[in-house]
Amino acid sequence: MKKLMFGMIALIMFNSCKNGSNDENSQAEAQNQEVNVYTHRHYEADQELFKKFEEQTGIKVNVINSNADELIQKMSMEGEQSPADVLITVDAGRLTRAKDQGLLQPIESETLESTIPSHLKDAENYWFGITKRARIIAYAKDRVNPEELTTYEDLATDKWEDKILIRSSSNIYNQSLLASIIVNNGEDGAKEWTRDMVENMARSPKGSDRDQVKAVVAGEGDLAILNSYYVGQMLNSSDPEEVETAKKVGLHFPNQDGRGTHINVSGAGVAKYAPNKDNAIRFIEFLVSEEAQEVFANLNYEYPVNPNVEPAPLLQEWGEFKEDTLNLSKLGENNKKAVVIFDEAGWK
Amino acid sequence: MMKQAGSSSNIFSIKYRLKRLKRDSNRWSIFTLAIILFIALPIISIGVKLFAGPGETWGHIVDNLLLDYIGNSLFLVFVCSFLVLLFGVSSAWLVARFEFPLRKQMEWLLILPLAIPGYIVAYAYAGVFDYGGSMDLIFRWLGWDFIRIDIMNKAGLAFVLSISLFPYVYVSSRAFFLNQANNLLEASTILGVGEFKSFFKLMLPLARPAIIAGLILVLMEVLNDYGAAQYYGVNTFTTGIFRAWFSLEEPETAVYLSALLIVIVFALILFEKWQRRNIKVSSARSNNTYIHRKSSSKFSQFLILLVVLIPVVLGFFIPVLQLIYWATLTFEKVFDLDFLMLSLQSFGIAILTAMITVLFATFLIYFSKWSFLGFIKNIARMGILGYAIPGAVIAIGIMIPTLAFDKWLIGALDYLFSIKTGLLINGTLVALVYAYCVRFLAVAFNPIESTSLKVSNTIPDSSKMLGVGNLKTFFRIEFPLIKTGILSALILVFIDVLKELPLTLILKPFHINTLAVKAYEYASDEMIMEAAIPSLFIIFTAALPVIFLNKLLIKK
Repeated sequence: MKKLMFGMIALIMFNSCKNGSNDENSQAEAQNQEVNVYTHRHYEADQELFKKFEEQTGIKVNVINSNADELIQKMSMEGEQSPADVLITVDAGRLTRAKDQGLLQPIESETLESTIPSHLKDAENYWFGITKRARIIAYAKDRVNPEELTTYEDLATDKWEDKILIRSSSNIYNQSLLASIIVNNGEDGAKEWTRDMVENMARSPKGSDRDQVKAVVAGEGDLAILNSYYVGQMLNSSDPEEVETAKKVGLHFPNQDGRGTHINVSGAGVAKYAPNKDNAIRFIEFLVSEEAQEVFANLNYEYPVNPNVEPAPLLQEWGEFKEDTLNLSKLGENNKKAVVIFDEAGWK
Repeated sequence: MMKQAGSSSNIFSIKYRLKRLKRDSNRWSIFTLAIILFIALPIISIGVKLFAGPGETWGHIVDNLLLDYIGNSLFLVFVCSFLVLLFGVSSAWLVARFEFPLRKQMEWLLILPLAIPGYIVAYAYAGVFDYGGSMDLIFRWLGWDFIRIDIMNKAGLAFVLSISLFPYVYVSSRAFFLNQANNLLEASTILGVGEFKSFFKLMLPLARPAIIAGLILVLMEVLNDYGAAQYYGVNTFTTGIFRAWFSLEEPETAVYLSALLIVIVFALILFEKWQRRNIKVSSARSNNTYIHRKSSSKFSQFLILLVVLIPVVLGFFIPVLQLIYWATLTFEKVFDLDFLMLSLQSFGIAILTAMITVLFATFLIYFSKWSFLGFIKNIARMGILGYAIPGAVIAIGIMIPTLAFDKWLIGALDYLFSIKTGLLINGTLVALVYAYCVRFLAVAFNPIESTSLKVSNTIPDSSKMLGVGNLKTFFRIEFPLIKTGILSALILVFIDVLKELPLTLILKPFHINTLAVKAYEYASDEMIMEAAIPSLFIIFTAALPVIFLNKLLIKK
C-alpha cells in the first residue's frame, strides 16, 4: 500500500513539474508570435482558417472554446492579467456587453473600416462583424401558401394559431430577435407580440433550430423560425434523412416590404488588455479578408460581411433579401429587457 | 447487528467527549479543518456574495419562474429516485445473489451507462425518437408511421437521467451485497425465510446507507444537469441559474439561486440522516465472507438475465448504437489522429484527478474520525456539497480565490525580485484539478465512507490501545478493508472527470483539450452527429478502466 501511496505522490509531483514546464513553455512562446483567441464559434471553417492564418503569418493561434457568456465572465475576472487577445461571439448582443463591461478596446484599422458595412460593426470600433446570418421562416411546402407569409408581426396573428415552432427563449438568437422588435415596435408592442406568439406555438419550446424544421416536416406545426445557415447545413448533412427533411421546407425572408429581415453577426473584438494587440488586429483583418470570407460562406453557409465576396451558391439560390439595417449594438442594449418580456409572457 | 444508541447516555457522552478531547491532541481536527477549508474556499467565495443580496430581477424570477423551477426540480428528484432505485438495486441484488449466464459480463456492463455523458444520452435518445430518427425509420418501414414517441419533455428527461445515472446506486449497493450479505443470508436460509422476504425485510434495510449514498449522488447530479434539461426544454434550478447569470446579466441573482439549491440538497442529506438517526449499522464480525451465489433453474436464470439486461440496453446499448450509427455517417469528416492524443490527455487528467480526489476524501473521512470532535464530523460532510453546485458556478468560485492569490503573488514577485510573470494558477492544470476536486469530492467520499462504516471498530480500537498510531493502524488494518470502497471511488471520479464539461470549458489551459470539450463543440453547433465520434472515444476511454477495476472489486 505504501508503494501505491508513493506512486501516487510521485505521479502528482511529476505532473506538477510537467505543469510548471508547460507554463514556462507558454512564457517562452509569448516571446514568439502568438494570438490568444477566446471564441464561442467551434466550426470546422474556423479551425481551417486558424490554420491558414498560422501558415501565412507564422503567428500561432491559441484557442479557448466556450460559451461567450462564460468567456466574458472569465475575461472580466482575469482583468489586466487576462491572456485573451481576441473575443469572438456568435451574436452582437454579447459583444456589446463585453464592450460595456470594459473588456474590449477600440482599434484603428483601415482595412476593417473600409470592408465592413457600418451597421455590422460597433460605432466606436470596439467590435466588428465577421459573418452574417438571417433569422428566417421555414414553412411546410405542402401546407402553407408562401404568399400568406409577410412579417414577424404577422406570425403573432390568429391566422397561425398552434402552427408555430420555435426554440426556447434562453437562446440568444431569439433574444436578439425580440430585442430588434423592441427597438422597432416599442416595448408595449414587443410584449403584445410575445404574448400572442406564445399563444400560437404548436408545442412548448424545446430542442435546437434544426429540431424545429424536423417538427415542421413531422407535422407538429407549419412554420419554424431558425437561422439561415442551419438550412444550408441540413441540406449538406451527413445524414440522408436530414437532407430529405430539409428539402421538404420552403424558406421565407420576412419583412421584405418594411424594415427588412432580422440579421445578426458573429463578431470579434480586441481585448482591452491584449498582450498581442498587433497580432489580434491582423487576425481579425484576416477573418474578413476575401479569402477567409469565402471559407465562411462555402463551408458554413453564412453570409459574408465583406461585400466583395459572394454568398455560397446555395444561398444565392434563395435570392437576395433586404436586411434590417438597425445598428446591431441596439440588440445588446435591449437584451435584458427582451429576456424579462419572454419570462412574463411564459415563453419557456 | 443493530444497536439502538440510547438517548439517555447524552450527558455521559458529552462528558466522555470532553475527556477524550482533552486526552487527544487536536492534530487531526486541525488537518480536517484545513482540508475542509481548502475544499470549501470556492464555495465560501461565492457564499460571501450572498450578503450583497439578489439583483433587481429577483422579484421577477419569484413572480414568473421560481415555481416552475421548484416544481420541475422536485418532479425530477422524485421520478429519478424511483427509477434509479428500481434499476440500481434490483440489478445489484440479482448480480450479487444469483448465478446466471453472462453474469460476469453483466457486472461491468451495468456500470457502463455512467461512461456516457448525460447530455449525450439525451441527444442520442432525441435522435432515436425524432422525425427521421432511427425509431421513426423503423416505424416507417413497418408501416406504422402514425406512431411518434416524444421523449423531449419532463418525463423523458427523468428517464434519460435515470438510465444514465443508476450505476451509482448499482455500484454502492452491490458492494454491500457482495461483502456484507452472506452471514445474514445464511442465517435467514437456516431459519427458512424465503428469498423475497429476506430481501425486503433484511437486505434492503441493511443496505440502506449504501443505497442512499448512491442515490444522493444521483440526485445531486440530476439537480445539476444543464445540457439535457436545456435541450429537452425543461426549466430547472440549474437552467435558471444560467438564465439569471447570463441572460438576465445578474450573477448575484444566480448565486442566490445556487444557494437555494444547496439548501435543498443539504435538507435532503439531513432528512436522510434524521431518518436513520437511531440506527447504527455495523457488523459484529469484521471478517465477513464473500457472498455465495444461488443457482436456479434454467428458466429463471434466463428471466434474471432479461431483467438485468433492461437497464444495460436502455442505458448503454441504445445510445451507443445510435452514436455508432452517427459516427459511421461522419467518420471521414471528423476522425483524425488528434483524437488519440485527446484521449490520452483526457485519460491522464482524469487519472490524476481521481487519485488526488480519493486521497482528499480518505483523509477527510479518517482525520475527522480520529479527531473525536463531533462537530468536525458534521463539518466534514460539508465537503461534499460541491457536487450539488453547477460546474460553471464552481469554476467561478475557484477563480475568485486563485486569482486573488495569483495577483498577490505577481505583485510580491515583482516587488521583491522584480520578476514579471503571468497568472501562475489560473489557466493551468492546477486550477482545473483543484476545481475537479471540489466538484467530485462527494463522488469519492460516499463509497469510501460507506465501506468504512462497515468496518467494525473493534480491531482498529484494540490496535490503538496497543499503542499503534492512527496512521499505522489505518495502513495495516483499515486500508485493506476499505480497498473496495477506494477502488469504487477511483472509478467513479475517473469517469466523472472524463465527462465533465462546464468546469473544463472555463478553466482549461490553452494547451490542453479534452474529449468532452470536443464533443461539446460539435453538439453546441447543432452538429450532433459529428459529436458522436468524440463521445464514443469518451465511452471507450472510460469503459476500459471500468472493466479492469471491476475485476479488482470482484476479486476482493
